[in-house]
Amino acid sequence: MRFLFPICFLFLCHFLPAQDSTYTILSLDKALTENANAVVRLDDMVVELFSKREMSIKLTRVVTVLNKLGNKHTHTSIGYNNSIKVKHVQAVIYDAFGNEMDKIKRKDFRDVSAVSGGTLYSDSRVLYMEYTPVQYPYTVEFTYEVSTQNTGNIPSWYFLDGFLVSTEESKYTIVYNAPGLKPIIKEKNISGIDVSKTDVGNKISYKASHIEAIRKENLSPSFGKIAPKLLVRAINFNHEGYDASVQNWKDVGLWMHDNLLKDRGVLPEATKEKARSLVKGVTDNLEKAKLIYEYVQKNTRYISVQVGIGGLQPISAIDVDRVKYGDCKGLSNYTKALLNAVDVPAYYTHVESGRDKVDFEDDFADLGQGDHVILAIPYNDTYYWIDCTSQIHPFGFIGDFTDGRKVLVITPQGGELATTASYLNEENRQKTSASCSLNSDGGIKAEVLINTEGIQYDNRFYLEDKTNDDVIKHYKNYWSNINNLSVKEHTFKNDREHIVFTETVSLSATNYATKSGDRILFTLNVFNNNGYVPNRYRNRKMPLEIQRGFLDEDELTLQLPEGYQVEALPEEKNIKNEFGAYSMSASLSEDGKAVVYKRSLFVKEGAYPKEKYDSYRDFRRTTARADNAQMVLVKSNP
Amino acid sequence: MMRKPQFRLTGICLFLVLITTAQEVKFGKVSKEELMESVYAKDSSAPAVVLYRDVDVSYSYAQSVGFQVITRVHERTKLFNKNGFKFATVTERLYKSKSDRESLSGLKAFTYTLENGEVVKTKLKSSEMFSKSLSKYHNEEKFTMPNVKEGSVVEYEYKIVSPFAYSIDEIVLQYDIPIQQQHINISIPEYFAFKPSMKGYLGINPKYGSKSGKINFQTKRKDQDDYTGKSYYSSSSVDYTIKTTNFTMRDVPALQKEPHVNNMNNYRSSINYELQYVKYPNSPMESFTTTWEKVVKTIYNSDSFGKQLTYSRFFKNQLNAVLAGASSDVEKMVAVFSHVQRHMNWNGYFGKYAEKGVKDAYEERTGNVADINLILVSMLREAGLTANPVLISTRDNGVPLFPTREGFNYVIASAQIADKTILLDACNKYTEPNLLPTSALNWSGRIIKENGSSSIVSVVPGKRSVTTEMMSVNLDVNGDISGKIRKSLTYYNAYLFRNTYNDVSEEDYLERLENTGAGMEISNYKVDNSKVLGKPIVESFDFYSENQLDIIGDKIYFSPLLFNTTKENPFKLEERNYPIDFTYPRQKKYILNITIPEGYTVTSKPEDLRLALENNMGSFIFRILNPDTNTLQIMADFKINQAVIPVQAYGSIKELYKKIVEKETEKVVLSKI
Repeated sequence: MRFLFPICFLFLCHFLPAQDSTYTILSLDKALTENANAVVRLDDMVVELFSKREMSIKLTRVVTVLNKLGNKHTHTSIGYNNSIKVKHVQAVIYDAFGNEMDKIKRKDFRDVSAVSGGTLYSDSRVLYMEYTPVQYPYTVEFTYEVSTQNTGNIPSWYFLDGFLVSTEESKYTIVYNAPGLKPIIKEKNISGIDVSKTDVGNKISYKASHIEAIRKENLSPSFGKIAPKLLVRAINFNHEGYDASVQNWKDVGLWMHDNLLKDRGVLPEATKEKARSLVKGVTDNLEKAKLIYEYVQKNTRYISVQVGIGGLQPISAIDVDRVKYGDCKGLSNYTKALLNAVDVPAYYTHVESGRDKVDFEDDFADLGQGDHVILAIPYNDTYYWIDCTSQIHPFGFIGDFTDGRKVLVITPQGGELATTASYLNEENRQKTSASCSLNSDGGIKAEVLINTEGIQYDNRFYLEDKTNDDVIKHYKNYWSNINNLSVKEHTFKNDREHIVFTETVSLSATNYATKSGDRILFTLNVFNNNGYVPNRYRNRKMPLEIQRGFLDEDELTLQLPEGYQVEALPEEKNIKNEFGAYSMSASLSEDGKAVVYKRSLFVKEGAYPKEKYDSYRDFRRTTARADNAQMVLVKSNP
Repeated sequence: MMRKPQFRLTGICLFLVLITTAQEVKFGKVSKEELMESVYAKDSSAPAVVLYRDVDVSYSYAQSVGFQVITRVHERTKLFNKNGFKFATVTERLYKSKSDRESLSGLKAFTYTLENGEVVKTKLKSSEMFSKSLSKYHNEEKFTMPNVKEGSVVEYEYKIVSPFAYSIDEIVLQYDIPIQQQHINISIPEYFAFKPSMKGYLGINPKYGSKSGKINFQTKRKDQDDYTGKSYYSSSSVDYTIKTTNFTMRDVPALQKEPHVNNMNNYRSSINYELQYVKYPNSPMESFTTTWEKVVKTIYNSDSFGKQLTYSRFFKNQLNAVLAGASSDVEKMVAVFSHVQRHMNWNGYFGKYAEKGVKDAYEERTGNVADINLILVSMLREAGLTANPVLISTRDNGVPLFPTREGFNYVIASAQIADKTILLDACNKYTEPNLLPTSALNWSGRIIKENGSSSIVSVVPGKRSVTTEMMSVNLDVNGDISGKIRKSLTYYNAYLFRNTYNDVSEEDYLERLENTGAGMEISNYKVDNSKVLGKPIVESFDFYSENQLDIIGDKIYFSPLLFNTTKENPFKLEERNYPIDFTYPRQKKYILNITIPEGYTVTSKPEDLRLALENNMGSFIFRILNPDTNTLQIMADFKINQAVIPVQAYGSIKELYKKIVEKETEKVVLSKI
């Protein structure tokens, strides 16, 4: 599954009026340089809404770069396309004392296609500055002005850029020419910063100053979720010639449905007939949908081509029908058309994709949210979700790319927010059962059975399509704790109906156990040794977030080598706390020839204050340690 | 291809095969059998196979443009499964200069798919081909085939017209998927003398021949005496010979990727045509590169190279200051090198030719590799040293096997001091004399003397980069350990440390250090020489780490190297086809002094071990001593003595690592007294 909207749609760029400036580093507050690779001295954007069809954006951005890792924060590039015109762009470089060193004019900016990986072609372009710093620190003053007739995607404003960069001053002003153009602004995460707002006449301004740099930490919310920022939208706007008046998500959906999606679903009669023949004799809508989805998966592939107003509008179903490829918009729209041809309703759905779950904002309906499209199929008062860019996912299973988040479902009656399928805690289950024998040289032979469900299924079922060599490489990495591993045989069973993946592996390894004189030391958790311990922080600043829970259950029966007996077994362990649970036990079989090892690790999804981080780390440290528990065998006296 | 005549008599069968192989496969004649194949018999793991490929390189002449190189490509590819779909997308990179460019035309492309037993043919529309400008020098043409499904066959043909008649692009003969059959034809007019060279391990069996060609000229002329003022055309023609080469290859295996390989393309089979000379009728012969000496000469004579070395006025004023206090040649060299390294800032571009020119680059303080290192050569010469540029091919550029100008893409400086050649690269802030960036460590370079003659110089470091870690450790009966660590890094290990961490804040670095491996806590951290080039980096700190010992019953077990134990063999695959590239020789040495807790004694410990690879390629030494009841002294010393280990030694090096893992994971057992 892949992304889809081109740069123009996502641009979070900024602009502005030149000022005389002396950007010496001498005036820099020490608190701003701490943990920072760069300091944004001034970030000042002025957006002017002249009419529904005319907007200009001016930015002045002054960044002092403290070291080479800070270069990326200069953001000296600007994306454009047929509907965004760059009227001015320039950069001036100053040395540490604020003396001008260099001026880069528009003609010296590189002008290149903005095609990213995974896209075959796009007509979006980007102007960027190529500059080699000759000393650190240095300061870049970057200014640009763009104009566009599209007013449906007013850029969001970030008072802070990201991790390891601080802000000295950040200003955002929006001017509107008529009361009907007054934008709606939603403030996010600004309570902790020094910010002021004015709303006078036809102008709204924000000004923030002195925001110190923050560092990225393990298991913390993504930057996007904690960033102090403004979401800005117009109620009445134009997008690529389509006028809109939007109060809420219902209106956004209706506008999409009646404009950008209109007539996109027409299919040739022969294709409709084909669709009908596929579901012949099937009456249940869900069963029909499965058959159609299967057909789409078998007959299309993901190829992204972004031309014209590709940002929001899918290429028509008729085109996809011919070439049998498309991006997420094109493939979703095509599948929807096929479903409609067999009288199954399906709704085109905008979603923000990625492992990080990002919700659409309930009370802020704009076009800037979401970067991917899936389908919602209503059935028995619930929605079934399908991602049409995947050729391999089972029907109704969306994995961790779009799970558990609020999305915009576009129905003929308008838009509504709904939450996609979630895979909760123990639903993400892995069960490993192994029967293993140990020889007196420390070598092992084993038959291992692994069942995965939920997100764990998502992480594993792709193995089915791998070549034998790649599968063996996978096991050598998956069981990197087993040296000299040799995989004899493996079989897979993919139960797409119940979404369970089963791996059966037969393997052997020499020198798994360690010999020490008359003793053999054997680490009992052979096949799911989880050594993960979250990083230690001297001073944790961010809350703890565990996005997805899981349950791993393991069972191992180990036949002992002849002539050895158990000297010591690890103590049983049972832990239960707010984060989850862990249990581990090892016992000798009745005949004394085998050891049975049982272990389970359960981690819950959840959000916790930063104070909890250390106790979660302790929990995982304990479990990691327990996973390394060893048993000791000793040569029996003859 | 033709698998029908199985039931015929052998003689006829042979005959048919001969006929079919002599024939080329017709575009568009995709058979049902091809569509029904579900796996490639010779490589069942192949997601796709090129059934047929035809590449025809020839010259055409047009009076207005002269000779052009025409490359016709025809490929038919079977896609077995989804992993093969990426081979339905075709990308051609086309070269352009200021005035001319290569172009792709005549694209015909179809996808064939079996649907309900019927062959469905889908045409690629011209609107489905996309062009884009990649850079100053390259455009790209790209298309992906329509209606692609598992089992589809895609077939396309197109031609590339190149006005650059003096160069024939490398013809790749091996893909990442197998090629069942391919025909390569090359036809070159007698005026152009090219030398072909093969790369890779596949053999070919070319047939040579000749045919005739003809050029017609038309000349327009006005006859002044003719009162009508009419133009007259006269035509003339020239006959010439075309030399042909053609060969067929069957069952070309896919190129398999492997880890720790310098650059896979070094092993991909291909054929290169290097121009030797051009001789038109009634014109003098124009000679081109044929040997490395000539290649070097051509590069040297370029304005962006040799001429750059003649400029020195622009730095004269600074040079005196730079040389102040330096008396010996070595001091002068170091002074000049440090100056250029500090003064100049690399813009990230490779290149053997100066991009800005040394004067502008020096003024602006930035430039590409050639700008910077040619300044360095000139300054060294101006300082009275014997200094020369050295041409190099970076690791990404591959190992140059044949003399071509493209074989070099990088230039460094060398200084001759006494009888030693010292290599210098001022593009990185942390390089040192005889310490080049790792991207430049690729076999050998060519040193060019002032008179233009050249010789080979090895750029692969011979000296080991050493990491030595000394630990004094106290064991606690609760399983925790604590102590002091002193770690020193030399040569490349120091260079890489400086490049990676010198801009990272100490707090960030320590967090990383604490969280690698054992999750220890660090205090009293101190680092020396992180900015002092030429000296080892020395880190020292106190550490504390919980639960490092296994306490089972009344015994304590631990691996002698504690959290530095090598637990995993990096070489996991049974076999390997390519050399193992360590980039530079290296050594890792641990010396531990462990204090045993009161009331415990050592009941068993691993035995000493000494291992060596053949030909002194590497070794491992492990020693453990128990000099008194409460002390253990451990030494582990691992050496790889050469940068590249030949593939024949894969088994030995894998085995060496296996033994290291076994030894280091063995346990020391302590018992209560």
